[in-house]
Amino acid sequence: MISFGNGNLRVPKLSRPVYMVAAGLTDFRKFYPEKQSTELCLESLKMAVEDGLGISPRDFKKMVNFCVYSQFADHFGDQLLAAAKIHDYLGFDPLGNIEVKTGGATGGSSVLAGVMAIASGYASLVPVIGWERMDEVNTRQGNAYIASAACKDFESELGWLYATYYALMMRRYIHEYNPNRETLTKIAQKNHHYARFSPYSQLPGDYTVDEILKSAVVSDPLTFPECCAMSVGAASIVLADEETAFRLTDHPVSVVGTGSGSHTLRTADRRNMPVLLLPNERPQLYQDRKNEWPGFTSFLAARFAAYLAYNMADITDPVKELDVLETHDAFTVSDIQTYEDIGLRPYGEGADFIESGDAFIGGRLPTNLSGGLLGSMHSVGATGIFQLSEIFWQIRGEWNKFHADDKYWGRFGKTKPNNFENLQVSNARRGMAISHAGTGSHVTAIILERGWSSE
Amino acid sequence: MSKQRQQVTISADSKTKLADVLFRQNIPQGIILRENPRNITHFHSYGGISKFFDGLAAGTLWGTVCGSCGNAGIWLPPRVHCPDCWQEMSWVKIDTSQATVYTHSTTNYPGAGFKATVPCPLISVEIPGICTKLMSYLSEFGDGEPYIGMPIRPVFSQNPTYTILDLSWVSRD
Repeated sequence: MISFGNGNLRVPKLSRPVYMVAAGLTDFRKFYPEKQSTELCLESLKMAVEDGLGISPRDFKKMVNFCVYSQFADHFGDQLLAAAKIHDYLGFDPLGNIEVKTGGATGGSSVLAGVMAIASGYASLVPVIGWERMDEVNTRQGNAYIASAACKDFESELGWLYATYYALMMRRYIHEYNPNRETLTKIAQKNHHYARFSPYSQLPGDYTVDEILKSAVVSDPLTFPECCAMSVGAASIVLADEETAFRLTDHPVSVVGTGSGSHTLRTADRRNMPVLLLPNERPQLYQDRKNEWPGFTSFLAARFAAYLAYNMADITDPVKELDVLETHDAFTVSDIQTYEDIGLRPYGEGADFIESGDAFIGGRLPTNLSGGLLGSMHSVGATGIFQLSEIFWQIRGEWNKFHADDKYWGRFGKTKPNNFENLQVSNARRGMAISHAGTGSHVTAIILERGWSSE
Repeated sequence: MSKQRQQVTISADSKTKLADVLFRQNIPQGIILRENPRNITHFHSYGGISKFFDGLAAGTLWGTVCGSCGNAGIWLPPRVHCPDCWQEMSWVKIDTSQATVYTHSTTNYPGAGFKATVPCPLISVEIPGICTKLMSYLSEFGDGEPYIGMPIRPVFSQNPTYTILDLSWVSRD
């Protein structure tokens, strides 16, 4: 739809408070033949329960009443109802469970489903478990599988490659707004760099802008380091109602904003419409705007999700009121588009979020300190859950506990780098994760906040 | 008297092959990685938009337009139903005389199953009066092409595959 009725813009409400109480990850690899998806999922949830909650799996399982599973593509894992296998492997039968699928936003949507289960009163303790098995086929076939999440009649045959669909947007973005080409590469540079300080990351590295620009071009103008990883791995979080949350931890993190948006699967079908304004934008901001909206340069789904989440969480200035952010940086260009869609900068000025230093550690809104999809992982079903795990640890002040401890580096057969940087945001109180599918077919925005009162 | 028993055998074409290298890395010792080959045919119907693919084979570009939504524009890709009012739309021939390149990307590393040669210049097409921007490709290009705003005309495959690849574009100059 290109115009809204009152019902469409209703701000979501939770019927009772929902908290996140634990998170766990495996490491992420291109290729993980040592472990099946069942084993990876178990290991991520085990970490959440044992290292996070500090209780035994046996005690934890006695409290669970519903589970949500998050996997993008059945054809990658080549196992329909894989969630039933994982649910069984974790020993949760006969508890009810659902598997959620919204492409790249599957992780965010799965957490949203878990939030709904708690908020409605249906459940009081819900693990949300995500994974993707992307190594059963080679990279070219993997790209074709991902591109079968484009329209098979009108798009997939044209490249069998999502990088191309984003490169079409990138070319148009550069045409309309003329950012420095170098600024786009700095997003990749930043996230590959932060990935160096994560024991979970797949593609850590320090690159110069020049190295990124001169890397092989996947689909012009996107180069390889500007495109996300294809990963195998798992991520789990645990959601709870208030009573259960405070029984499990003195420091639960509260879910204060949720939003979910969508747009046409085919980028081709995006009709021109008026800009949907966020709480921090006045109508005059875009009155002289000449470019089409959302066109090929903006994601209506991201804007819509942010609109709902900000209004729900009473956020009027996201850069000021959020302390830490995880975006779905599948490609450098989509990240810059997202900065504008979620109101960090006005349309056309997203590059300034990078150039100003805001997006870096020490800046006003450090973004993708996890290493993101470019540096750390894109094991699709796990991705949105991975992002929220990192936000959760930041808000609890536990970034060091789960990144700096040699125990985790050793667990994955890695050695912590000598020039290790501490990426804990001091006094992080509130953070957001953006989970994103297709060329913006589904987007969720989930805002977490410190759920305990500071003594 | 001994009981008669029938044998169950595994069909001879299920040849077992174990992989020892994947992504140029050795498979760790003790891990079995079995090759599961595929060769499956799906029968995919174009349903109510079959006319569009039939049109490509006949050298005509068809779109659809909603009679009850006024000047909402022509849909290309076509849809049977209008997404705004859910009424069935009417078919209309597309006038491509003003078609231009809206955006483009030349792909070098397409996914498996891509049927065109690389590098392949993929484009989105802008046509006045059309509310969408069809994705397609240039079947002929020179230095500096494609570029945004490039005037183009459609070319229809002589050997139709009944896929979107039957339509491509070349310079109008």
